[in-house]
Amino acid sequence: MAAEVELKAGIPSGRKVITGNYAVSYGAALARAQVIAAYPITPQTQIVELLADFCAEGLLQAKFIKVESEHSAMAACIGASAVGARAFTATSAQGLALMHEMLHWAAGARLPVVLANVNRAMGPPWSIWTDQNDSLSQRDTGWIQYYCESNQEALDTVIQAYKVAERVSLPAMLVLDAFFLSHTSEPVEIPEQGLVDRYLPPYRPKYKLDLADPRAFGGITMPSEYFELRYKIQKAMEEALAVAEEADLEFKRLFGRGYGLVEPYRLEGAELALVTSGTVTSTARLVIDRLRAEGEKVGLLKARLFRPFPTSLVREHLLGILKIAVIDRNISFGHGGIFAQEIKSALYNHGQPPLFGFIAGLGGRDITPELIEEIIEYALSHDRPEEEIIWMGVKR
Amino acid sequence: MSTKEFAPDRPITFAAEREMPPMAVSLGTTLANKTGSWRYLRPVYDEKKPPCNHACPAGNDIRGFIALILKGRLAEARELLCETNPFPAITGRVCHHPCELECNRREFDEPLSIRALERLAGDKGYKALRAPHKRHEERIAVVGSGPAGLSCAYFLARRGYHVTILESEREPGGMLRWGIPEYRLPKGVLDRELALLKGMGIELKVGVRVGQDVRLEELDADAIFLAVGATKGLELDLPGLEAEGVLHGLEFLKRVNFGERVELGERVAIIGGGNTAMDAARVALRLGAKPIVIYRRTRAEMPAIPEEVEAALEEGIEFLFLAAPIEVLTTDGQLKGARFTRMELGPPDETGRRRPIPIKGSEFEMELDNLILAVGERPDLSFLPEGVELKEGRVNDPVLVRALKAPIFAGGDAATEAGTVVDAIASGRRVAEAIDRHLRGLPEPAKGEEPVLVPFARINLDYFEPRPRVQGRTLAVPERVTNFREVELGLSLEEGQLEAERCFSCGVCNQCDNCITYCPDVAISRHDDEYEVDYDYCKGCGICAQECPRWVISLVEEEK
Ligand SMILES: Cc1cc2nc3c(=O)[nH]c(=O)nc-3n(C[C@H](O)[C@H](O)[C@H](O)COP(=O)(O)OP(=O)(O)OC[C@H]3O[C@@H](n4cnc5c(N)ncnc54)[C@H](O)[C@@H]3O)c2cc1C
Ligand code: SF4
Ligand code: SF4
Ligand code: SF4
Repeated sequence: MAAEVELKAGIPSGRKVITGNYAVSYGAALARAQVIAAYPITPQTQIVELLADFCAEGLLQAKFIKVESEHSAMAACIGASAVGARAFTATSAQGLALMHEMLHWAAGARLPVVLANVNRAMGPPWSIWTDQNDSLSQRDTGWIQYYCESNQEALDTVIQAYKVAERVSLPAMLVLDAFFLSHTSEPVEIPEQGLVDRYLPPYRPKYKLDLADPRAFGGITMPSEYFELRYKIQKAMEEALAVAEEADLEFKRLFGRGYGLVEPYRLEGAELALVTSGTVTSTARLVIDRLRAEGEKVGLLKARLFRPFPTSLVREHLLGILKIAVIDRNISFGHGGIFAQEIKSALYNHGQPPLFGFIAGLGGRDITPELIEEIIEYALSHDRPEEEIIWMGVKR
Repeated sequence: MSTKEFAPDRPITFAAEREMPPMAVSLGTTLANKTGSWRYLRPVYDEKKPPCNHACPAGNDIRGFIALILKGRLAEARELLCETNPFPAITGRVCHHPCELECNRREFDEPLSIRALERLAGDKGYKALRAPHKRHEERIAVVGSGPAGLSCAYFLARRGYHVTILESEREPGGMLRWGIPEYRLPKGVLDRELALLKGMGIELKVGVRVGQDVRLEELDADAIFLAVGATKGLELDLPGLEAEGVLHGLEFLKRVNFGERVELGERVAIIGGGNTAMDAARVALRLGAKPIVIYRRTRAEMPAIPEEVEAALEEGIEFLFLAAPIEVLTTDGQLKGARFTRMELGPPDETGRRRPIPIKGSEFEMELDNLILAVGERPDLSFLPEGVELKEGRVNDPVLVRALKAPIFAGGDAATEAGTVVDAIASGRRVAEAIDRHLRGLPEPAKGEEPVLVPFARINLDYFEPRPRVQGRTLAVPERVTNFREVELGLSLEEGQLEAERCFSCGVCNQCDNCITYCPDVAISRHDDEYEVDYDYCKGCGICAQECPRWVISLVEEEK
C-alpha cells in the first residue's frame, strides 16, 4: 500500500500576488481535483508544477499521473472521470491539438473533465506567444469553453467550470492568454476551501465504471441510437447556458464576484459596440473610458462563454446598436475571424447591423490602446466594412 | 437501477430519446459477455528458475533468501539457505560465487552482491538447530571434517541417521580451519557454524587418522563416506628442495593457522597461482616479509579466485608472471636463492590453458630467504588399498568392496576436480542423498526435465532503474597488513536491504500486482500471495505476461 500522505491544513486562503498560471492551479486545488494528468508545454507548465507541489506537500489529496503525451493526459483524465473522480489537466497549442481525438471522447462519453488551455499560437512557425487558434480549433468537440480576462477570473472559472460540467455531464475548458495572463502577476483573492466546498459538492455521477456492477461504456452504437445520443449532447449544451448563468450568480452570492456569460461594458446608448475576448478586453475598457470621456458613443461587450454560445444574450445586448466591431485574435483560414462569424450568425434574421471583423494580435503581437482606437476609428468612419476581413497592422 | 433489474433476456429498445442514458452505456451487466471465448492464448502463472540459483553448485534459493532479507526476516533467510547449504556464514565469505557471474542484473548494471547478502543472512540470522529425530538405526561414518564431510553429516542427520565424523587433526573443519586464513574466515565464525552440528547430535572424533589410528576395515558403520580432501602438497622436481628455508604452502598455512609462530626472512618467493599461493603470500606479508608471487603463466590463467588476486595486489604484493624456478641455490644446506627461467605461452594443454614453455637462455637468479611451494594439492589416499581411485558417489572398486563390510562413498576434493568449498558442500549433500537411497533401497531419481532459466531478455526493464551495487566495506590496506583481522566487513541490514531491492526476482512472483493492474478485463484476482485468472473473462491479450517485470506468466496456446 502506498504511504498515506499527511493531510496538511489545505490550501491557505487570502490575498496573494500570483500569475495566471498559479491562479489556475489554486482553482484546481480548491476544486479538489482528484486526478491530475498533464504533459508539460510552454506556457502551461507552471500550472501543473504547482499542482504537483501541492500533491507532494499533501496540501492536495490527488493522484498526479505523469504521462508521455497530451493524448495520454486526456486519456488518463477520461479514465479517472469514468470511475467518478474529478479530473484536471492543462495544456497549450500543439498539446491541445494532440488531445483532439480524446476531446471528442470526453464529450461523447459525457465526462466532466476540466482543462485549462493557455492560448498559444499554433506552429509552424514555432511561437510561444498568444492567439486563440488552438482552442477555437476545438470548437466542435462538444466542450464548454470559457475565455478569461484576469487571473482572478481564471481561478474562479476553474471552480465554476466544474460546477457546470458536472451538472450537464460535459467537459469544460477554460482559456487564458499566454504570458499576458499566464505569466503576469496580479493580486488574487484565494477563496476559503470551506466556501468552495459549499459551492462545489463532490462529484457523484449516475453512471460510472464500477467493478461491482460492470457495464460497457462507449461501445458500438447503431444508427438507430447514435443520432439520439448526439441530440442529447446538443440539448445538454443548451441546458448548460442556463446552468452556467445560475452557477455564476450563485458564485457571486457566495464569493462576491461574478462575470456573466457575456459582460456589457458602458453599452448604454452606444452607437458602436466593440466585441472582445481574453485580455484584449482589459485594454479595450481603457480605450472605451477615454473615448466616452471625449463624448464618443462607444461601448464594449466582453465574450466570456464561447461554447455553448450565448446567442440570446448577444442579441439582447447588441441589437439596436448601429455598428459592431469584433476583434479576433484568431483566424479561420478561408473565412475570417471566428468570434465575428459567431456573432454574425447570432444576429442573422434579427436586423443585422453592419459588423466589422478585425483580425489583430496573432502570434502574440501587441494589441495596444492605439490599435483599438484605430479599430474604433475605422468602424465609426465607415458605413459598412470595405472588406470581409480587416487586418490590423499587417506590414504591406 | 440494480443489475438484476436490467439483466436482459431480450434486446433493450428505446422508443424515445428520453428513455436513453446520456452516453452509450450498457444497461445490463457486462458479466453476461464472456470475453474468455475470444482467447487463443492462455496466460498461466508459471514460475521459472533464476540463473543465479542454477549457477550455485549447492543450488541455493538465492532469489528466495534475498526476498526474505528485503523484508528484514534474516533468520528465515538463513533457514532457507540451510535447506541446501549448512554454512551460509562460511560460503558467504569464501565462496567463489559463480552465482554472481550468471546474475541477470550483470547485463543491466552490476550483479547482485549475492555472496555478501548470504553472509548477512548467515551471520545475523544465526539460530541454533534442534537435534532431528533419529528415526533410522543405521550408523554412518564420515572420514574427514572438511566442508564435504560436514555437509554430508548434516544432511544425513536431518534425515534421521546416526553420524560419526572421524578427523585426523585435533580440530574439525579441514581447509576451512587450516587452509583458509583468519583474515578471510575467522575461526570464531567457523566454530559457530560447527557448533550447530554438535547441536544436531552429530558425533565428532578428532585426532583419529583412518589408516593409522584405526583401519578403514575396522569402522563399525552401515555406510562410509570418504571426504579426506586434497591435503598433500604437490612437489616440484627441483634440485636443492630439501634446503632449510624451503616451505610447502599448505604446511606453512596450517602451522600459522594452528597458532605456531613461523619465522620468515625478508625476501619470500611463493611459487604458484592458486588460492594456496595467494593466501601464503598474504600471510607472509602479515608476518612481516616482502613476498613475491612467481607464476609460470599469466594473470588470466591463475586458478585463484579473482578477488583474492585483487586483494593481494591491493596489499602491495609483488607478482612475477611467466617465470618458473629451475634450481634452489643453497649454502651449507641453507636456502640462499633460486634460479628461474622465463616462460612463454604455447598451445593449450588438456586443461584448455596455454602451456608454458621455457625460453632458452632467459635464466636469472634471485636472492631469497624463503621459498614457498604452492603448486597444487592432491588427495592422500595411502590408507586405501593400492591402486584405488576415488570418484564421487558410490565407490565400486572391486578391491575395496572385498576389503570392506560397509558400502563406501566418496566426495569433496578427494573425489572431484572442482576444488571449492561450495562444490564440496554440494558433493556432501549429493552423497548424503545417495547413502539414504542405498540404505532405504530407493531407486535413483529419474532425471528431471531441464529447468527453464530466465534469460536477461525476458526481464521487462521498464520497471527497473540502474543503481550501483552495494559492496560491503573492507578494512583499509594499512589497517590489515600487520594483523589477521578480517578484511571484509560485511553488510549492515540497511545496506543489505538496499542491495536486495536490486534483485529482479527473475522468474519468481514477488506479488508486485502488476498483472492485476494491467489486465484490461479485470480478470485477475489475488488471494493472499496467489493469483488467479478468471478464464471466463480473460480474453488472452497477453498484457499481463508482457507487463510482468520478471517473466512469471507464460502464454500457452489454447487447444481449440
Ligand atoms: C589455502 C586454501 C585456500 C582456499 N580458499 C578457498 C576459497 O577461498 N574458496 C573456496 O571455495 N575454496 C577454497 N579452497 C579450496 C577448499 O578449501 C577446498 O576445496 C575444500 O575445503 C574441500 O573440502 P573437502 O571437505 O573435500 O576437503 P578438506 O577441506 O580438505 O577436508 C578434508 C579433511 O579430511 C581430513 N583427513 C584427511 N585424511 C584423513 C584421514 N585419513 N583420516 C581422517 N581425516 C582425514 C583432513 O584433515 C581434513 O580435515 C582453498 C583451499 C586452500 C588450501
Ligand atoms: S554458495 Fe556460493 S554460489 Fe551459492 S549462493 Fe552462496 S556465494 Fe553464490
Ligand atoms: S537478479 Fe536476483 S534472481 Fe535474478 S539472477 Fe540476479 S540475484 Fe538471481
Ligand atoms: S506481474 Fe507481479 S504479481 Fe503478477 S505474476 Fe508477475 S511478479 Fe507476480
